[in-house]
Amino acid sequence: MRNRYLYLILVVLALVPWLLGNRYVFHVATMITIMIPMALSMNLMLKIGQLSIAQPAFMGIGAYGSALLAMRLGVPPVLALLAGALIATAIAVVVGPLFLRIKGVYFVLLTYAFGQIVNLVFQEWTTLFGGNNGLYGIPKFSIFGVRLTQSPHYYALGLLLLALFYALMRRIERSDIGAIFESLNENEMLSRSMGSDALGWRIGSFALSAFIAGVSGGVYAFYIGFLSPETFGFLMSVDLIVVNAIGGVASALGPVVGAILILPLPELLRDAREYQLLIYGVCLVVFLLFFRQGLVVFLQRKRRA
Amino acid sequence: MIEQIIVNGILASLIYILMALGFTLIFGIMRIVNFAHGEFYMIGAMVMLMLFGSMGLPYFLAVLLAGLLGGLLGVVAERLLFRPLVGDELAGMIMSLAIGIILQSAILLTFGPAEQSVTRPFSGTWHLFSAAVPWDRTVVAICALLILVIFYLFMKYARLGLAMQAVAQDPETASLVGIEPGTVYASAFGLACLMAGLAGALMAPVYTVGPYMGELPMLKAFVVVILGGLGSLPGAVLGGLLIGLSESVVTTLFSSTIALIVSFVLVLMIVVVRPTGLLGRGAR
Repeated sequence: MRNRYLYLILVVLALVPWLLGNRYVFHVATMITIMIPMALSMNLMLKIGQLSIAQPAFMGIGAYGSALLAMRLGVPPVLALLAGALIATAIAVVVGPLFLRIKGVYFVLLTYAFGQIVNLVFQEWTTLFGGNNGLYGIPKFSIFGVRLTQSPHYYALGLLLLALFYALMRRIERSDIGAIFESLNENEMLSRSMGSDALGWRIGSFALSAFIAGVSGGVYAFYIGFLSPETFGFLMSVDLIVVNAIGGVASALGPVVGAILILPLPELLRDAREYQLLIYGVCLVVFLLFFRQGLVVFLQRKRRA
Repeated sequence: MIEQIIVNGILASLIYILMALGFTLIFGIMRIVNFAHGEFYMIGAMVMLMLFGSMGLPYFLAVLLAGLLGGLLGVVAERLLFRPLVGDELAGMIMSLAIGIILQSAILLTFGPAEQSVTRPFSGTWHLFSAAVPWDRTVVAICALLILVIFYLFMKYARLGLAMQAVAQDPETASLVGIEPGTVYASAFGLACLMAGLAGALMAPVYTVGPYMGELPMLKAFVVVILGGLGSLPGAVLGGLLIGLSESVVTTLFSSTIALIVSFVLVLMIVVVRPTGLLGRGAR
């Protein structure tokens, strides 16, 4: 296995917060475990050749959905989390057949408009979503009677979900489904003539990506306990694009590596947050011009050479 | 009331058209969705703040210089950053995103996040039927019209303008008859950014200026261009008028946020039902 060392490093990195025992480190690490599945959900769409700017909107739907179910209807958090993610999935399944007929630039613009509408609804429908003042008083997550109150608990939950989603993505990559995605990207006509249901597969991966984003949103809502529409705006899409571009799209390992390199940056640059976006921009330019395959492929090639 | 709505709508439309024409020109020729287009508008306005607001240069000279600087920046960006990615739609789009955030944070770092105002060169209002029209908006409208006429004449009669249309229609045939695609790319990108810079410079004294001011005009240009058809120049004009007027109606009756939601729903429906927009050609 060529990636053995990389996996070893990742496992050690995952243990770092416990070694340091610092609450702040736990918080940053928890946010990363919430964002990596988001990056994976965008990666899944990129695998079928579509850049979806709607992923933060699905995360928002999952977050608001599970928070409101738990707050207003007293649904147990585990069920609320699942229901929130399923609402996001259902919306993806409804709009998917319309959106996914369209490819390339128009798909990007469609998902962009969709994301904006969802966000504007969060902002305007103040009685339900709390508007720009935010939604307060979301209860803590609990599972089998255990209440998760501190960031180490949420970090453990995040890691568990992350491992699950990552394993799922790798499985898809290596299975026939991965091969079908690749063939649809390479030559859709040929692939369809051999019997692959292009639209069906696309809707399937759109729905799965919305589910992953919805779960991340739910975990985020229970962890932070407060939701505001701007969290799920266009800037998060930029983050996800940066993470995927730096790590590379070809393998699910790409966004994981990209996220671990990029997402702690805002925390390291706390005194100079204005530089964060500048660095993102410069990183994007450098990777687009010189390492368009991303870091993971670059490292693998180097080792082979 | 109705006259006022129409006048407000047309005043807004002219700026939308100025932005949308450049946006659609870049797409038509290079197949790039320029997410940084609003940032060139912002750069135009910030240059206006310096040249006209602080240094006191004459108004029209400052507008011209601001536009030229925007255009120059566009040419440089095309030559260095977009050219290596020609043919890769996705990479081009991400590159424009990167350029947008670099420009925005560069301005944020130099000028700070605060909104600033530029001295108004003209004041007072005049009346057209029962509608009150501010003088400064009138001057902006006249300048915008002038730019549109020059742009039209350039595209219709100038060799370079014709070459741009040829490349937009069919790049291979265009290169067969000896049109250098590189020159066309750079000049089209520069021209588009020049217009965005001029639009920003013209609007600088009307609203406040700041690093985030380009986001809304960018959104509007995007809606207009989808409505009219990506890549279609007449479509941008028609779309600009339709969006400007309908927005003026909805804003007067409800609020500007509702107007934004309405226009996005419109975009969604158009892309789903008729992706080529009102006047767009079929997919190449």
